[in-house]
Amino acid sequence: MLSVNNLKISFDDNHVLDGFNLNLESGDIFALLGESGSGKSSALRFIAGLEEAQLGSVALDGNSLSDEGNHSVNAELREIGMVFQDYALFPHMTVFQNISFGIDYLAKKEKIDKVDKLLDLIGLKGIEKKYPHQLSGGEQQRVSLARSLATSPKLLLLDEPFSSLDKSNRDQLVKEVREILKSAGVTSILVTHNEAEAEVFADKVGVINKKRLIIK
Amino acid sequence: MKSKKNNSNFLMGMLALSISFPLIVVCSAWFFPGTELWAHFAENLLPELITSTLMLLIGVGIGVSILGTILAYLVVMVEFPGRKWLEWALFMPFAIPAYVLAFVYLGVFDYSGYAQVWLREYTGMPGFDIRAGSWAIILTFTLVFYPYVYMMARASFKRQKIQMIEAGKMLGKKPFEVFWRISVPLARPAIAAGLLVTLMETLADFGVVSLFNYSTFTTAIYSAWNDFRSIEVAAQLASMLVLIAFFLIYFEKKARGKAKYYSSDVSHIRPYRATGFIRWLIFVFVFGVFMLSFAMPMLQLVIWSFDKYAEEISQRYSDYFSATGILTVSATILTVVVATLLALPSRRKDESKVLQLLIRFSTLGYALPGSVMAVGLLYGVQNISLVSIYLGGASINHILFGSVILLLFAYISRFMAIAYNSTSASSEQIKPVFEQSARLLGSSRIRLIREVYLPMMAPGILAGGLLVAIDVMKELPATYLLRPFGWDTLAIRVFELSSEGLYDRAAIPALMMVFFGAIIMLLFIRLDSDKY
Repeated sequence: MLSVNNLKISFDDNHVLDGFNLNLESGDIFALLGESGSGKSSALRFIAGLEEAQLGSVALDGNSLSDEGNHSVNAELREIGMVFQDYALFPHMTVFQNISFGIDYLAKKEKIDKVDKLLDLIGLKGIEKKYPHQLSGGEQQRVSLARSLATSPKLLLLDEPFSSLDKSNRDQLVKEVREILKSAGVTSILVTHNEAEAEVFADKVGVINKKRLIIK
Repeated sequence: MKSKKNNSNFLMGMLALSISFPLIVVCSAWFFPGTELWAHFAENLLPELITSTLMLLIGVGIGVSILGTILAYLVVMVEFPGRKWLEWALFMPFAIPAYVLAFVYLGVFDYSGYAQVWLREYTGMPGFDIRAGSWAIILTFTLVFYPYVYMMARASFKRQKIQMIEAGKMLGKKPFEVFWRISVPLARPAIAAGLLVTLMETLADFGVVSLFNYSTFTTAIYSAWNDFRSIEVAAQLASMLVLIAFFLIYFEKKARGKAKYYSSDVSHIRPYRATGFIRWLIFVFVFGVFMLSFAMPMLQLVIWSFDKYAEEISQRYSDYFSATGILTVSATILTVVVATLLALPSRRKDESKVLQLLIRFSTLGYALPGSVMAVGLLYGVQNISLVSIYLGGASINHILFGSVILLLFAYISRFMAIAYNSTSASSEQIKPVFEQSARLLGSSRIRLIREVYLPMMAPGILAGGLLVAIDVMKELPATYLLRPFGWDTLAIRVFELSSEGLYDRAAIPALMMVFFGAIIMLLFIRLDSDKY
């Protein structure tokens, strides 16, 4: 379903990844574990189409998205969703507007239904009219997840989504998000530096070791 | 503690109030009985004045918002050829006084200008009057004032979190939609602030509108005072300008809204890289704006200067230089000190509604033409003298009339808004937690200001000071009316020559002003680029 081949990323002549390969089946929930600076976020951003690399290819459902480190399909056309570490909710939009941002081509009724379902899924019904700054960190991250799921992406990338939360909220949310993703059947990659979190969250865990990915 | 705060509120209130002195004099004109002359003005001229002034404001407002925002977005968010130097080059029109750009355009594109002569000769096109209608004057104002919006929007786009744009991309949005639905709404407060300054400048302009024979409130005020010798009518018209300015400020505050987007992330990543034909199209557009607003007018000034150099340059120029320099430096320092005192964050949170209003009022002077500021000051001082004599004291006329003090006062009142907008914007970025932590660490109020607030506000203070300096150097009407004997500035010389139609000779002092303006701009650019 997803295949990343021979990825090579370096910063100022310092190779962080070299010969990185990753293959995922549909519905897989994968965690990419690594120290800070190990290149795990860069790999994720390459898959998303946000950053280029020295070398490497990405294919999704058999379609080539990137080749030789260059992107042939732009980020906005990849049908890949992303959840950011600091949520990146648009502060000038309500929760409803945030979640429906990527699906505004739908008719109003369909949009309302879809947002409703998603809010139900993340367990936050009735907050449509609130603004991001009126929500707690955990709530914001759930809304951010709902926003990414709204466009029904083929692949969901989660870039340290739990690291801004305190421990008690985090453990609970890690389990919840896993359940949500499982029930939605979305193929997902979590990037984290927290081993316990990776174990709870994912079906498969990979570690970056000597610039390559090793599946545990 | 409480009384300390009240004291500081009181002192700041008095400071703001004294800055507003010329404004108060102008507004008090309504307490004088209406004259026949006012009836004549109100009946015959007022409707047309309001329409033409509003039309100018709307046209220029739309022009600078679109141009300033698009340019800022392109240089911050998109990688294209020449971006690095164009990002700074686009600030350069700040160095050109609006009336200089106007006389260059008129000299080149007017009926007898060589552009039209050439067109008529080679294409057989009939001649046309570029003063007709309002498109040419709107275009001129847009080209000279867009940097206000550009500067504010650029700073705001730079502070925007890159994740916002990436989130938009990941949700399937094309660049234009991300621009329109995420970046622009997030930059709205900054765009509104830049727009406000532009509209105030447009309202206060006298040079450009008189060169284009376009009637606005400023020309009417000048006429009431100069042709009809009625200081009351001039003041009454001026007070209507104050009213318009008040509305503008109100709308800007509304546009800012309640939303606070604290973000200090500065990213070096440009989210878009234009490719192929598009990148050159962007270059041609941005470069074209730079050429039209700065490079081509400069070239024209240089050509004219070469022709008339020997005729114009004389010993007097050392006097013009020293007058311009002394006035600019002292007015800038005074204005920035006052603006910083009024904008300090420790005061902000517990200031009274009355004080807020007083400060707002004191910044309205920006919408007033310098001539009105001057009239207000002269008229006010004269009345104080009368009262003082009545109470058995002495007149203060001889101390103040024809002294630098009055002129500096006019500059401070006139340009407070620029410095204040800049210092208060930087002070709003200082989160309350800094004050709390400094206090908890046992820091005194003075130390808090000196070691925490001032360094954090420094970029805003510097930026404000720079804008004030350039404006003081360019200032014309107030300088003309209030300057002491022998204090002719470069701006005065430009005005004297260009009002006689001697554009080619006026090009020489104009070029010198632009040169000094450009040096100040480069200084600013250096300071500013260190931040990023």
